Amino acid sequence: MRNLLRLGYLLPVVLILIWGLVVIIHGEDTLREKTFTLLMFVGMASSLNILLGYTGYVSFGHIVFFGLGGYFGFYLLAQHDWSLIPASLAGGAMSAVIAGLLGVAVLRLRGAYFALATIGINEAARAFVTNFGPFGGATGLYVNFSVYEAYGGASQALWSTFTCLWITALATIIASALVKGSRFGLGLMAIREDEDAAMVMGVKAPQAKTLAFMISAFFPGLIGTLYFFKNGNVEPGDAFHLHMSIELLVMVMLGGQGTVFGPMLGAVTYEGLRGYLLTSPLFKSLHLAVSGLFLLIIVLFVPAGVVGWIRHRLPITRRLLE
Amino acid sequence: MQKMKFWFLTPLIILSLIMGGPSLAAEKKAIQPAAKAVENVVIGFTASQTGKFNVESTRQIHGLSLWMDQVNAAGGIKLPEGTVVKFAAKFYDDESKKDRVQELYTRLINEDKADFLISPYSSGLTDAAAVIAQQYKRIMITCGAASDSTYNKGYTLVYQTYTPASRYLTGAIDLLAQMDPKANQVAIVYEAAKFSTDVVNYLKDYAQKKGFQVVLFEGYDPGATDFAPFIDKIPKGTDAIMGGGHFADTSTFAKQLYEKGVKTKMVALLVAPPEDQFAELGDAAYAVIGPSQWESSANYNPKAAKKLGLEYYGISVADFTKNYKEKYKENPTYHSAGGYVAGLLLQKAIEMAGSTDSAKVKAALDKMNLMTFYGVIKFDTAKAHGLQVGHDMVYIQWQRDAKKKLVKRVVWPEAAATGKPVFYRTK
Repeated sequence: MRNLLRLGYLLPVVLILIWGLVVIIHGEDTLREKTFTLLMFVGMASSLNILLGYTGYVSFGHIVFFGLGGYFGFYLLAQHDWSLIPASLAGGAMSAVIAGLLGVAVLRLRGAYFALATIGINEAARAFVTNFGPFGGATGLYVNFSVYEAYGGASQALWSTFTCLWITALATIIASALVKGSRFGLGLMAIREDEDAAMVMGVKAPQAKTLAFMISAFFPGLIGTLYFFKNGNVEPGDAFHLHMSIELLVMVMLGGQGTVFGPMLGAVTYEGLRGYLLTSPLFKSLHLAVSGLFLLIIVLFVPAGVVGWIRHRLPITRRLLE
Repeated sequence: MQKMKFWFLTPLIILSLIMGGPSLAAEKKAIQPAAKAVENVVIGFTASQTGKFNVESTRQIHGLSLWMDQVNAAGGIKLPEGTVVKFAAKFYDDESKKDRVQELYTRLINEDKADFLISPYSSGLTDAAAVIAQQYKRIMITCGAASDSTYNKGYTLVYQTYTPASRYLTGAIDLLAQMDPKANQVAIVYEAAKFSTDVVNYLKDYAQKKGFQVVLFEGYDPGATDFAPFIDKIPKGTDAIMGGGHFADTSTFAKQLYEKGVKTKMVALLVAPPEDQFAELGDAAYAVIGPSQWESSANYNPKAAKKLGLEYYGISVADFTKNYKEKYKENPTYHSAGGYVAGLLLQKAIEMAGSTDSAKVKAALDKMNLMTFYGVIKFDTAKAHGLQVGHDMVYIQWQRDAKKKLVKRVVWPEAAATGKPVFYRTK
């Protein structure tokens, strides 16, 4: 816990804290919606970083946990009248359990084989949900608009969902910082550098990787439930977008993998840019081309991610950007 | 080189933080005071300018734009107290994804001051937008959103132009019963995706209610290309094969049914048959039936309206087709007609209400019962508020003209028919 008080870990936590508070105090719906999208990706990218950044395992299946956990949480909400917070936590817990079970099998694989296996898991999860009756099969699940009455009406429900997401994003960043600053995190980073050498040095690699996978999977499940609740429905097509997994990888790489601040910066930059271009009168018809070009330039010039680049160029920032 | 990178990247990073950070300053637009006698009504929507719904959504927006051009060119709507209502569109790209739909609709309402909303294309995106429309008490006319479930969620301001999924293929059962009263066996093979599953679930119930036996009910994975295992499971003597999903899989399914020499009285499939490209299948397209929300050959006119005791409102089928072709250099599809009629209904409701006030326009929409070039329009005002209950699908069938060329003819319902239905292949 003492590690969390390091300046480099405190900075992203404080930024997210202030950001959410500003939005809540400001009370403007449009700003809330924009921030919801950004915080959702901050949480998703930061949670992916716990696996990708610290252990070096490239997962294309992070969206599986968003989908499965979100489906489970939404199922509890829609079919069993659970309220939002316990349903979200249950969604997160379900994702973590699934990650634990999957981890035993797929974390034995390394490199490209692991990456390929995670793509397969995504397809398998989508096929499973499409044919799983309690989750509504191919047509999915939905909630009646009156459900929002329990939260003080639709407007209040959207604000409550935002607050939950803000806290979740905050918790993800804190978890990421705690992992990085712990002995467990050092073990993960040793695995990233050389797994065999780490095992020789006493790191229990299979257990450590599985635990990292579970922590990394918990938050997407929670975020998925909040997102589907806000939309009022869920269907297999929305829950398992492979391209979203790829975008998350881009965000982590862009910001700086293996750092606490990097994924947050990557998510905000990538999604912020997309949102700006989409609504900009000048670029709204060219947003994908401009966004692609922007990304290409950054990746070409900054392969270590923005945080890595700044740390390298300006040593004075090394204590600030962890 | 290092220096150049520094000067290049530093402003880039600062720029991204400014654009993405908490200070996301909303572009406050100055609201122009409307001229005294003219009220500018903003219609807000998202369009799928990119992504998988691009083609359908573009046609929908073309239809809506044509309506807006025409109503504004005609001087707008004159309200009883003398105000003239003119329309302006405000829209953003939703990328065919749900991620930002709620964000963009919130922006349309709060920052762009949209008075009325048109839905995005597809039921999934519309579901997300409807939460926002209802929350801000904005009327939203949906097009391209056929799912029934949207209207069972307790919304009171969402109105559907499409015939819902529950009646998408049921007319094919009625047509089959009329073509051969002895027919009693149906096989249903469908894409296991939201829309097609919704449609066939209702179809199955309806067929059974009408005394048909559903001899096969099988879903295939989206993206399937080999239908032989499903075709082999269809029992001999089945009177009709129904189902399908999207264009690519349905076209392949129709082609393989023909290649395997399947004998049945009717093949009725979703989505693909109404498209002109379906004729490229050649003989495999012959006699295939497909439901369509609208066809340019459909017979909706003042005479047909009078027969039903309804008012006929707006442009004729021929004029819509001609004007659309002139403007966009392509034939209008039902997506285009859906976009146009969404605007037309709003126009009629404002005229009926004599005001742009949402509550009065809502009351007018609730009362609406009329025929347009698109067909009959009437909304459920009870449990499934806003569900389309007046409009019927038209069923087209690919037939051969005197020169043996494949042509599309409307074969059902009888009121809109331009040709007699033929059996698929019985020998």
